[in-house]
Amino acid sequence: MEKVLLIIPAYNEEENILKTYQKVIDYNKKEKKHYDVIVINDCSKDKTSKICHDNNIPVIDLIHNLGIGGAVQTGYKYAYENNYDIAVQFDGDGQHDVRYVEKIIKPIIDKEADLVIGSRFVEDIKTFKSTFARRVGIKIISCFMKFATHKKIHDTTSGFRACSKELIYDFSLSYPSEYPEPVTTAEVLKKKYIVKEVAVEMNEREAGVSSIRAWKNIYYMLNVCLALLAIKIRRYKRCQ
Amino acid sequence: MSVSLSITLIGVGLFLMLLTTYVLKKGRIPEKYSLLWYAFSLIILLVAIFPNLFAFISDGLGFQVMSNLVIGIILGTLIILTMALTIMIAGQKKKTTLLIQELSLVKSRIKKLEEKENDK
Repeated sequence: MEKVLLIIPAYNEEENILKTYQKVIDYNKKEKKHYDVIVINDCSKDKTSKICHDNNIPVIDLIHNLGIGGAVQTGYKYAYENNYDIAVQFDGDGQHDVRYVEKIIKPIIDKEADLVIGSRFVEDIKTFKSTFARRVGIKIISCFMKFATHKKIHDTTSGFRACSKELIYDFSLSYPSEYPEPVTTAEVLKKKYIVKEVAVEMNEREAGVSSIRAWKNIYYMLNVCLALLAIKIRRYKRCQ
Repeated sequence: MSVSLSITLIGVGLFLMLLTTYVLKKGRIPEKYSLLWYAFSLIILLVAIFPNLFAFISDGLGFQVMSNLVIGIILGTLIILTMALTIMIAGQKKKTTLLIQELSLVKSRIKKLEEKENDK
């Protein structure tokens, strides 16, 4: 039986975090699963930490704000220290559905993939697929990804991902602090790991503000594309 | 080069040298970085004291006026210095991130252990 950990990075998620956690617990009970949860509270200014402690939600409070990359990496370090076989990145804002965890960890259990991305674009399922501008952005990043790694990844910015034990160790050692999703996907591909996309449904955010704000989008795109070009000319070796 | 420019440059060079010595004495910069600043002030002093040598060099490199060479050298040095600082800051950021993560993990672990202790 694989030990599975859901890493939930949270920054100012007081309205969502308890609901998200409760859904996982209910799901565990109903389906007889044993998904563990760790919330990484990225120095939230609201009551996120208090809500977690009051409700006995396993949480690590970062002593200083690190941003999404640093927070998620803390989760991978925790997963490595506690000997988890599979780590799943899971948003605390209600976008991701715990029912799909089983689907995205399956290729790892079957040893078919090292990294599995929960994708909104692989099969034609009716789901919230983000705004038009954002979809165009994802397409462009996807083209750059193809150029850098010669592999087609459809949903390059999806934060719903599962990875194997080997990659947990890899991520715990190094993880980009900015634009972690497309960058790590490209790096993992360059290290010749197998990446697979699996169709999932996503919900619109229930409350709070997404970390990618509209006016930052062009700047975000530029940086990601540059990062992917840099990855193309870099050499990568697997961590031993 | 006019005499007044020479005097100004000597003044700037000496000031920079004294400033470097001052911060070095106070221990605010490590020796290896002070070396760079000493070299920098030395170049300025050399320009001021041997303008002919630099006039020769600036002619050879195709500068129309010697002061442009001086400004060029200063600008080039500053750009490289800024680059070096950017690299240093990135390195520092990595270290702080690591410290924040490890400390936060250890803290939460201690808390858990304390709670277990209290439950006994």
